[in-house]
Amino acid sequence: MMGLVLGIETSCDETAASVVDEEFHVLSSVIESSIDQHRAFGGVVPELAGRAHVATIGPVVRRALSDAGLDPHDPKILGIAVTSGPGLIGSLLVGLSAAKAYALAWGVPFVGVNHLEGHLFAPLLESSDLEWPLTTLLVSGGHSLIVLQSGPGEHVVLGETIDDAAGEAYDKVARWLGLGYPGGPEIDHLAQTGTAGSLKLPRSMTGDDYDLSFSGLKTAVVRATEKQRDLPVADVAASFQAAVAEQLLRKLRRALEHHPVKGLALAGGVAANSALRSGVTELAQEFGVEVHLPTMAMCTDNAAMIAAAGTYRLRHDGPSTWDLSASPNWQLADVS
Amino acid sequence: MNVLAIETATPACAVGVRTAAGVEVTRVVDDGRRHTEALTGAMKDLLEEVGLTPREIERVVVDRGPGLFTGLRVGIATAIALSQALGCELVGVTSLEMLAGGAFSSGVRGTLVACVDGRRREVFAQSFLLDSDVVALDEARVSTAREIVADWEGKGAPVTFTGDGVERYRSEFVAPSFATIFDQVVPSVHAGLVLGASRSPEDVVSPLYLREADAVANFTTRGRQ
Ligand SMILES: [Zn+2]
Repeated sequence: MMGLVLGIETSCDETAASVVDEEFHVLSSVIESSIDQHRAFGGVVPELAGRAHVATIGPVVRRALSDAGLDPHDPKILGIAVTSGPGLIGSLLVGLSAAKAYALAWGVPFVGVNHLEGHLFAPLLESSDLEWPLTTLLVSGGHSLIVLQSGPGEHVVLGETIDDAAGEAYDKVARWLGLGYPGGPEIDHLAQTGTAGSLKLPRSMTGDDYDLSFSGLKTAVVRATEKQRDLPVADVAASFQAAVAEQLLRKLRRALEHHPVKGLALAGGVAANSALRSGVTELAQEFGVEVHLPTMAMCTDNAAMIAAAGTYRLRHDGPSTWDLSASPNWQLADVS
Repeated sequence: MNVLAIETATPACAVGVRTAAGVEVTRVVDDGRRHTEALTGAMKDLLEEVGLTPREIERVVVDRGPGLFTGLRVGIATAIALSQALGCELVGVTSLEMLAGGAFSSGVRGTLVACVDGRRREVFAQSFLLDSDVVALDEARVSTAREIVADWEGKGAPVTFTGDGVERYRSEFVAPSFATIFDQVVPSVHAGLVLGASRSPEDVVSPLYLREADAVANFTTRGRQ
């Protein structure tokens, strides 16, 4: 049997566990989310997320083991990979503490994994014949980065958001428009029936770099709609969505021009966005590179990607020590 | 029965093991809120010291609070994972029972109020009668040093106060002439081992928060206005 790794992910509102083999076949992937508890607050409430993780961590891991056909008391795994940052400290601590306890009980090593590096491994779980190098646009509620990957575990961050993450901007604009949380799907859905040009939004971040910014766009939406109160919400949604995609695709284009690659990948929660998916696909076609669009299940936070990244980290860096702490602000650029 | 106990309800992290042969070791391994960093390594060391492998643990006992929310989650997540992975029994005890038990085994008798620091000038408190055994007199609740002292002043009976909540608001607990303070900041792991061994195992152990998440509390208040 292939060496198996159990992945555990609790950095935000998802409690997830997964068993993945050395060739990145996903044997099981279980995800429980506390999102319904956060909706009323328009964002994830850390204390509620922490409480939910404690209640779900045991059952989620048990199901991941049983779905993979493993003995819950002696699963014969190579090791455990757990997200140790970045994320909500109180949430990270639950997964990390549990991971250490499983490791002690079964007598296997464990390794702390960077959540963002986990996202970078997601494409490998869906296409085994992936060719390097790869440019990845990683966009979620907490992060927005353009990353150049020369191989698994080898990456350079070309640019990242200097203020809000793309998903965060979606949430804020959705709240302003009186839409539900999370804002991404709500705005994306409305945008389908709206006209993108109806609201004039500034082209942002026109500099010769790969840095991103979405805070200004959010403010522009607020200002413009205050002036034009009769604008249909669908038109505002379509205009905002188009402006976000325009900035991201412009920066990606620049990355493709300056750093020739074999593939272009999309990762993170905002990778579910329809405008971004079609834009990235067109861009890849134009540059004649392979496009890697994650399935909807692989866009959201999951533990399979953590297990995959952990498999690599266990092999290359070896296990973590018992005294490992959670790192709520761990940057991808600091992962070596 | 080989029992392992986990204590993370206060800034300290403590562990204890009692073997079927009657050997008991307990230890406070950290006092600076580094529960996650300290806990698992300490359990491993303690088990080695008493000559047990993790698989020989038959029951895990954990302090389910009240206390520091993050600390409780670290301890309980650890206990859940450990018991589940080993297929052994799991029992939850409260920090206030462990404080009462700690005072009892040190010879304190009579009425006792155990107080765990609840932050924001509040304590998590419960009253016990320590006689031939430890008996709870009321439910665990959120209170203040002032309320507790006033309450016992009204009763006019001698009482002992203990716990890190007393340490934190010491000046308010010290004054009354009817009260004695028993110095004890970390809930007693020895008491946890004793209590935990005497109870029926549970399928689910969850933290005893005694307080809603702030966001929920604020939201409910806002809704009422
Ligand atoms: Zn994520």
